[in-house]
Amino acid sequence: MKHFLYLHLLSARQALVKILRQPFGSLLSLLMLSVALALPLALYLGVESTQAWVGKLTATPQISLFMELSAEDADLAAVKSSLAGNPKVKSVSFVSKAEALAGLEKRNGLDGLAADLDSNPLPDAFVVTPVTLEPGELDMLQKELSGLPMVESAQFDASWAKRLYGMVELVRHLTLFLGAALGLALVLVTHNTIRMQILAHRDEIEVSKLIGASDNFIRRPFLYHALWQGILAGLIAWGLTSWLVATANPAVREFAQLYNERLELRTLTAFELLAMLAATGVLAMLGARLAANHHLRQIEPH
Amino acid sequence: MIQFDQVTKRYPGGNEALKNLSFAIDSGEMVFLAGHSGAGKSTLLKLIAGIERATSGGVLVNGQNLSKLRPSQLPYVRQHIGLVFQDHKILFDRPVFDNVMLPLNIIGFDRRDAAKRVRAALDKVGLLGKEKAMPIHLSGGEQQRLCIARAVVHRPSILLADEPSANLDRAYALDIMELFKSFHQVGVTVVISAHDETLMEDYGRRIIRLREGQFAA
Ligand SMILES: Nc1ncnc2c1ncn2[C@@H]1O[C@H](COP(=O)(O)OP(=O)(O)OP(=O)(O)O)[C@@H](O)[C@H]1O
Ligand SMILES: [Mg+2]
Repeated sequence: MKHFLYLHLLSARQALVKILRQPFGSLLSLLMLSVALALPLALYLGVESTQAWVGKLTATPQISLFMELSAEDADLAAVKSSLAGNPKVKSVSFVSKAEALAGLEKRNGLDGLAADLDSNPLPDAFVVTPVTLEPGELDMLQKELSGLPMVESAQFDASWAKRLYGMVELVRHLTLFLGAALGLALVLVTHNTIRMQILAHRDEIEVSKLIGASDNFIRRPFLYHALWQGILAGLIAWGLTSWLVATANPAVREFAQLYNERLELRTLTAFELLAMLAATGVLAMLGARLAANHHLRQIEPH
Repeated sequence: MIQFDQVTKRYPGGNEALKNLSFAIDSGEMVFLAGHSGAGKSTLLKLIAGIERATSGGVLVNGQNLSKLRPSQLPYVRQHIGLVFQDHKILFDRPVFDNVMLPLNIIGFDRRDAAKRVRAALDKVGLLGKEKAMPIHLSGGEQQRLCIARAVVHRPSILLADEPSANLDRAYALDIMELFKSFHQVGVTVVISAHDETLMEDYGRRIIRLREGQFAA
């Protein structure tokens, strides 16, 4: 058993040394693979980092009812009572045009704006919190509310958030798809690397078989080569995305601050990193195994 | 011990290389295998080593019936056999030392002991000074010695040599034969093929003569 482990260790070390001493060309293909892997990885991190934030936005949809500028107090009262009687409405808050203008002044530091204006250009508004969170029902409610008398428009606050949420979902699917496609690419690329190596070592393999090497013995260095290649590609991809995240984060933070939000891209957790390296390692070994099984069969003796 | 029991070998394409052969070679025996080109000498040796498999009949080597083993078990049979190939099978991309190291790598020999073993084998065949040389720079006779060193480095119990003295002058060929005799003297079973019988007759050993896959009279 100890002997067995020793042989494996030896194989693993030799394979690693060989990879590090590889000609520039094969290192280049390793790098290419890493860059390709960095793409879905970066997307994954983007989705994971913004998810909580996007979720918060969509979880509290609100509908803003803007009244016509000419709406009278009686109209406001009518809308208010019809909202109060609507079972689909959870709560309503009223923002008068004066309050809206004051808020605008305060938020934007435009003191004295109201004094400069002849009349208040802002409408009275109701902010409606609906009972349901279901997008279809929300749409219905929005239509219903926009049909109330003297209501200029009913804007669905969450609609852009919903769109954002949809986009994030799309990116998530894209990540999955890209990840799967590049996983496949990893299998194919290692398949090809190992195929070339087997062909290059044809004589050695033939002689080894003739003097008593088992298939496992012959496969072992190639499998380890592939394993290291997969792990190295994964590590480089991780390095690239970590660098990307670090460079992008100041800008992301600044952007989020404009909206009074705190948002930051995160890097992989230790667990995610290990899981990814395990995946790239296993996929690469799969490619190597397929190549070895196929090409070793073609070398005599059988 | 090596035993053939009504062994027939037919190659794909219908070529019958061996026809219903039965014989036995005792442990520690030294035997010659004679016959013209195409008589089936190489085929017979390959059957003993499990490189080719019998079409019918039983091939027993060290008590194991090779015909009954799974293909995946055959390599381990070969690890106990030393082989000198007719076409040498030297790896020209690495020095003499590494060529001789190969069998030890395959059986997983400890690295430091292995280097000692390799030097001992090279010393035995008179190539100790050439361990760093590339095989392409060796003479034909030296290449043959390299093959012998590689065949014995892991101390096999059976040594099979396929025309080890081909293309060598008589004096050199005799040297090589003496080398095999010395392995025989320490208890190794030795089977040597050749088509030149004059060399064998001096040794007074058993000669298995083949003609078209059968025993010749
Ligand atoms: N791989 C093969 N496929 C088909 N036929 C083969 C194969 N190897 C050998 N043979 C045939 O089997 C017969 C015996 O061949 P073998 O190589 O055993 O002869 P040999 O006695 O070693 O000859 P030589 O002295 O030329 O080496 C020959 O007719 C040869 O053509
Ligand atoms: Mg032959």
